[in-house]
Amino acid sequence: MGTTPGTRLTQPQRFRRVLPIVFLMACVAGVFVTSLAYAQAPANMPPYTPPKLASGQPDIQGIWQVLDTAAWDLQDHGASLGVPAGRGVVVGNEIPYKPEALAKKKENAAKHATLDPESKCYLSGVPRITFMPFPFQIVQQNDKVNILYEYNHTIRQIYMNGNPHPEGHIDWWMGDSRGRWEGNTLVVDSVDFGEETWFDRAGNYHSDELHVVERYTPISPYHMRYDVTIEDPKVFARPWNISATLYRRIDANVELLEYECYAYQLEDQFTRK
Amino acid sequence: MYLRPMIGAACLVLAFTSAAAAQAIFNPKDWPEGKFGPGAKAWAAEREKLPPFTAPRTADGQPNLQGRWGGTWSGDDIELIPTFLDVTTPPWESWVSDPADGKLPYKDWARAERDAHREGLGREVWSKDPSKHLYYDPQAYCMKSVPRYSQRGYELVQTKDTVIMMLNWGHIYRVIPLDNRPRPASDVRLWIGTARGHFDGDTLVIETTNLNGKMWLDSAGNFIGPNAKVTERIRLVAPNMLDYSATVDDPEMFTRPFTLRAPQRRQRAADAKDPYAAESWEHACHEGNGEHEQQILHLGFKWYLPPTPPAK
Repeated sequence: MGTTPGTRLTQPQRFRRVLPIVFLMACVAGVFVTSLAYAQAPANMPPYTPPKLASGQPDIQGIWQVLDTAAWDLQDHGASLGVPAGRGVVVGNEIPYKPEALAKKKENAAKHATLDPESKCYLSGVPRITFMPFPFQIVQQNDKVNILYEYNHTIRQIYMNGNPHPEGHIDWWMGDSRGRWEGNTLVVDSVDFGEETWFDRAGNYHSDELHVVERYTPISPYHMRYDVTIEDPKVFARPWNISATLYRRIDANVELLEYECYAYQLEDQFTRK
Repeated sequence: MYLRPMIGAACLVLAFTSAAAAQAIFNPKDWPEGKFGPGAKAWAAEREKLPPFTAPRTADGQPNLQGRWGGTWSGDDIELIPTFLDVTTPPWESWVSDPADGKLPYKDWARAERDAHREGLGREVWSKDPSKHLYYDPQAYCMKSVPRYSQRGYELVQTKDTVIMMLNWGHIYRVIPLDNRPRPASDVRLWIGTARGHFDGDTLVIETTNLNGKMWLDSAGNFIGPNAKVTERIRLVAPNMLDYSATVDDPEMFTRPFTLRAPQRRQRAADAKDPYAAESWEHACHEGNGEHEQQILHLGFKWYLPPTPPAK
C-alpha cells in the first residue's frame, strides 16, 4: 500500500492502518452475532442470501446429504464394530425422556437388531430419513416442496397450498408435512405420525403424538443448517432440539440412484434355502 | 386382492365412455357382450379426432407437461384378451400399438417363458394345474419399473434441467436429467433404471437403460429383459390429455421392437368442496404387505429373475 516492506510506520500512519482492521473485526463480530441469532451459521461463514426462483422462493434445490453419524445415534457415541464414533446432533446432547420412556429407549437399544423398524426396511419417519447415509433431492414447486430420498425411494411432499394439516389423527410413516418460508428458511411442520418409527439405530423413539418442526436454512451455496424441534408429550418431558448440517453433493455425475431395501430383503428371503 | 384391478377396470370404462351414469364399481354381469375394453386401437381412433394442439410453454421454454396424470392402461394383460377370463380379466383390446396385431413379438423361446410364467401363476384360466406355482407378479412386492410405472399415473414436475415423475403408488419416483450426462456403468442394474430425457419439439423423449429385468410388464407374465432400452414419448395432445408411448428395444427377447401406447388424463384439481383433492397422500405399500409376502412365499412361488437367452 505505498510503503516499502520493512519500513517503520509513524504513529498516525499506524493508526490509519489499524483503523480499517478494527472496523473489519467489528463487522465480523457483528456478523457473528447476527448470524448466530438468525441462521446459527458457524462463525467462519459470512452471511448468505440464496438465489431466488422465479416464484420468489429461495432456491434450495439440488442433492443434499448429511456427513454426521446421527443415523447410528443422535447423541454423542463411541465406536464399535460397524459404528463410527461421533458427536451428536442433539442440542445439549440430552434427550429429555420421561422416566418410563427412558426404560423403553434402553430396551430398544439392547434389542435394536430385531426391534429397529429399519431392520424391516420400513419407511424411516422424520427426521430419521434426513440422517440416513444416502443422498436426497429437493425439488420446489410454487405450492409444494418435494424431497426425494434415495433410501427406499421415499417421497415427502411438503404442501404450501394454504391447506392446514387434515383432520386427524392419521397414522402415517412420514407424517403430514405443511411448509412455509420464514425469510430464507423453509419451515416444515409435521404431525400425523404412527408410533412404529424410531429416530436412530440407538433406539431413540417417539409416540403418535410426535410433532416435528424442521428448519432448512441455506448458509452458503453448499451448506444448509438443519434445525429440528421435537415435541411428544407422551414420551418427552419437554421439547428438544437437533442442529445439524446438510451438505450439497457437487460431484460431477451425482444423481439419485436407488436403495430398494425391502426388495433386497425379500429377494434374500425368497432365495435363501 | 381383486379389488384393485376391478377398480382399475371401472376407472377405464369411466374414462373412455363419457357415460357419466356408469357404475363406479365394475360388475362383470354389466360387461357388454362382445365388447372389448379400450386399448391402443381405441386410443388411436380417439387421437385421430383431436384437433391440432401445441403445448403451452414453461418459463424455461419447455412444453409444459406438468400436472397430476392418471394412468389408464391395464395392469392385467397388455396383449389382447380375446374373451372374458374372470372378473379381473374382462375382454380387452391390446395396449400394444405396434405390431398392429397387438401381440408382443417374443422370440419363440421367450414366448414359451411367458407362457410358463402364466401357467405358474396358478390361475385357473391359464393353468392346467393351479396347485403348481412358479412366480408371482413382482409388483406384489411393492416395486415398479419402466414402463409399468406409467399404468398408475404420476405427478410430472419440470425444472430447467430435470423432469421429475412422482407416483403416489408406493412412493416411486423417477428423476430424469435433461443434460444427457453419462450413465453409470452398464453393470449397474436398477429396478427403475437410469433415464435420460430431451425435448423433441413438443414431445418429451426419455431413454431408459440399466434396468434389472426383475419386473413384469403386467400381472399376466409378460416381461422384458434387463438389457432392454425403453424409449418413452410423452406429448400433450389436449389441455388435459397426454399421449404416452413406450417403445421397447430388446433384441435378446424379441424379434423386433414393440410399442405400448395409452392416454393419460389430468386428474381433478382441488376445489372448495375438497381442498385436498390434488394432494398426494402417503401410500406406504411394503409396510402393510408382510402377510401378503409371506403367503406368496408359503405358496411356493419363487423369486422372479429374468430368463437367460439360450446359447446360439
